[in-house]
Amino acid sequence: MILKAPEKNIRRYGKAEGTGYQSPEVWSKVTGKAVYGIDLNLPGMLYGKILRSPYPHARIKKVDTTAAEALPGVRAVLTGAKLESKPFGIAVEDELPLAVDRVRYIGDEVAAVAAVDLQTAVQAIKAIKVEYEELPAVCDPAEALQEGAPQLHDNFPGNVAWQRELVRGSPGDAFTGADLVVEENFTVPAIHQAYLEPISCVAVDDPYTGITLHTALQSPDAVRKIVAGVLNYPLSKVHVSGPVMGGGFGGRVYGNLKVYILSALLAIKSGSPVKIQLTREEEFTAGRPMIAAAIQMKMTVRRDGTILGREADIITDNGAYSAQAPWVSKTVSERNDSVYRIPSIKTRVRLAYTNKIPTGQYRAYGNQAANFATESLIDMAAKKLGLDPLEMRLKNCVREGDITVHGLQIGKCGLDECLKAAAKEIGWDQKKEGRGYGLSVAIHANGSLVFDKNFRGASALARLELDGRITIFTGEQDYGQGTHAAFAQIAARTLDVSPAQVTVESKETKTAPFSTGALAMRQTTIGGKAIQLAAEDLREKIFKTAAELAGAPVTMENGVMCSISGQELALAEVAYYNHSATSGLSMTGEGKFVPEESDYDESGYGNISIAYSYAAHAVEVELDKTTGALTVHRLVAAHDSGRIINHLTARGQIYGGVAQGIGMSCLEGYLFDEGRVANASLAEYKIPTALDLPEIVPIFIEIEDPAGPYGSKGLGEIVMVPVLGAVANAAADAAGVRVTGLPLSAEIIYQAISGWECEQ
Amino acid sequence: METYTDPAESLLMVLREKLGLYGTKAGCGKGECGVCTVLLDDRAVNSCLVPVGKVQGRKVETIENLSRGGKVHPIQEKFVEKGAVQCGFCTPGMVMSAYALLKENPRPNPDQVRVAISGNLCRCSGYKQIEEAIMLAADKLKD
Repeated sequence: MILKAPEKNIRRYGKAEGTGYQSPEVWSKVTGKAVYGIDLNLPGMLYGKILRSPYPHARIKKVDTTAAEALPGVRAVLTGAKLESKPFGIAVEDELPLAVDRVRYIGDEVAAVAAVDLQTAVQAIKAIKVEYEELPAVCDPAEALQEGAPQLHDNFPGNVAWQRELVRGSPGDAFTGADLVVEENFTVPAIHQAYLEPISCVAVDDPYTGITLHTALQSPDAVRKIVAGVLNYPLSKVHVSGPVMGGGFGGRVYGNLKVYILSALLAIKSGSPVKIQLTREEEFTAGRPMIAAAIQMKMTVRRDGTILGREADIITDNGAYSAQAPWVSKTVSERNDSVYRIPSIKTRVRLAYTNKIPTGQYRAYGNQAANFATESLIDMAAKKLGLDPLEMRLKNCVREGDITVHGLQIGKCGLDECLKAAAKEIGWDQKKEGRGYGLSVAIHANGSLVFDKNFRGASALARLELDGRITIFTGEQDYGQGTHAAFAQIAARTLDVSPAQVTVESKETKTAPFSTGALAMRQTTIGGKAIQLAAEDLREKIFKTAAELAGAPVTMENGVMCSISGQELALAEVAYYNHSATSGLSMTGEGKFVPEESDYDESGYGNISIAYSYAAHAVEVELDKTTGALTVHRLVAAHDSGRIINHLTARGQIYGGVAQGIGMSCLEGYLFDEGRVANASLAEYKIPTALDLPEIVPIFIEIEDPAGPYGSKGLGEIVMVPVLGAVANAAADAAGVRVTGLPLSAEIIYQAISGWECEQ
Repeated sequence: METYTDPAESLLMVLREKLGLYGTKAGCGKGECGVCTVLLDDRAVNSCLVPVGKVQGRKVETIENLSRGGKVHPIQEKFVEKGAVQCGFCTPGMVMSAYALLKENPRPNPDQVRVAISGNLCRCSGYKQIEEAIMLAADKLKD
């Protein structure tokens, strides 16, 4: 007979989260011992370097590598013409490892070399002679969509990388005879993730193991699938071995595929390990920032503030190649619609190829860009109708039981409580003289049921080690968000041990379960659930074996089991007993979390996630009207991410995500001079320093959601979403006029309040 | 410590590539991010901007020195306690800037802490828990 430990005896480590358990990896980091990708150095390692296009659009007439190949110390030279590769891609297949006959942006990969040291590799790159014939370039996405514009890709006519038109409800009726229609054009620039560690990869080709990519990735399995396809290697012969990751924020989901593919190709050709490391300038000019968006949006509202409909025409700037831009464009075009009860919508979104840097994804996947537009319109409508922006949001925001305009099923939802809490904390009813105030709300999915309909969940293994410790094997990645600490806490709570007894392993694709990885705010909810299930399975096995060993049913508390007869058994004893009984097998629990299929249909209508997180932010700003300089004094971030597993790391997510939101609102954004990135350094592309941030006040509205492990939900992406709308609304409140283009720099605000147009 | 090298090489390159001290990180090579911060005669500097020839006969302290003999420095301890370490890439430089600040000013106020770390970029944390950690470390060190 198996007896489960009685509930009352289980010590709830989950409740001790306030103590802020942290993964032991922080000690390696704080002492400088953690090994990051840039620190890697393997015996016999060569240094790879990429030759890039100096033109936004040109035909390659000739590539001469003779001089480079003759340089002493050069071990491999690759050009596109000599590679037999089919186009590959993430969302659409439009890239080659190296350009063959055409380059499409300044930075496009033309050739790659591997040499004994970096200096020789740089010299070799300079020794390659390329003859180009310049072609007309198109850098503005709206121009790219016009007839007669230079065409980038033969199989994407009209420069349309992806597009979608969508009607739900009856938007025509909604706009006919409406009490009020508000309309505006909003622009959001391309944003770099600005992780502080530049991307690098050491590729090793070994006849026995195949290719190993030593690089830190948010989704190692997704990347090795693509790399295996390009190299034409069996999937089981392509591995990712992750060093510590110096920041991701979406930028390392697929990372920089060219770096991984080219280092692998150079390793194959040279027979030695090859390291390619991007410079900071290459990060800015040939990385994968998030798309710029031009959002033309209008909203129709009844006199009492009820939203009746929303129309949007969106153009997103793909750049020369499409990494995840179609998916990000989709999120921009629809996610934010589900935060309110909007009965009718009409949307057109077009993703345009331009001769600029290709684009990928960033934390929150463009939801923040849509938030800026929608939340601005809400305040514009409230102002025109003489309504309180708080009341208007409370009137329209979604609540438990709702099905949104896109079919999202709203489960446990504390959005209205978040709004009330944020407004109260910012002093909405006692506004200070000379300050501006703004509100904004957000919804964000916890992973996707429809991204890959055949792979909706996650799995994990929980292994009892011979010393009684627990090892969790998961493909979910931690790069400081606190995921692995949360996983240790979840497993510990299930097994009734201390989290410090749990080790989480995820960095070797050879041993980790296949996983979608760190994206779409899925890890805590979906990955965490798999860990809970694995730990439950292991617990069953432990109880069964322990009962066998003791010859009587057992209970367990704090990692020690006790039989009915009073015999105490340590986990290590049970592990050894099983070890002996099976001649060496470890006791392993399997966790398989497979969410039910979604009702998602062809039009994209349906419930896309097992759970949603909610947030409301309130901001207080001050505007210097003589200069246009905006100071954000205080930001209250109220979040419903279910039960919080670890308040210390959850607060860290809010401080850090809000900081990125402030950066995107006030400081950041790509500047282009035709196709050339005009601010390709951290001095010119300014991210917030310690002096640029407001006081940030996190509030957790902890409503348990049964979808996630122990009632918890995701937090990491939604944290930055509402910042943009809230800051824009506060700035408009302070300025008396609205700025509709980000970032809200002093110059732009000054132009708006003075009515002056500055010549660029 | 003695090493023979091109005096025009950066201190950062020599620390990492010649001396194997990889605790000091490299993020931009242009003095913009601060992850390579070390102490040169007790003052925080971006080691990527210091030609190693200028360092001859002077005292250089890196993150490795702070936890020698297996004991962590109170600044490091408080960084962990307050959750100030996320991806950790800025952490060694950030800890060294805090170390330099507390050497010069053992009782800083939060504004002084923010100024002291304003040359160290961090993309993860929003700096709040770093600031809290440094304030707490100052408290502990003065006891």
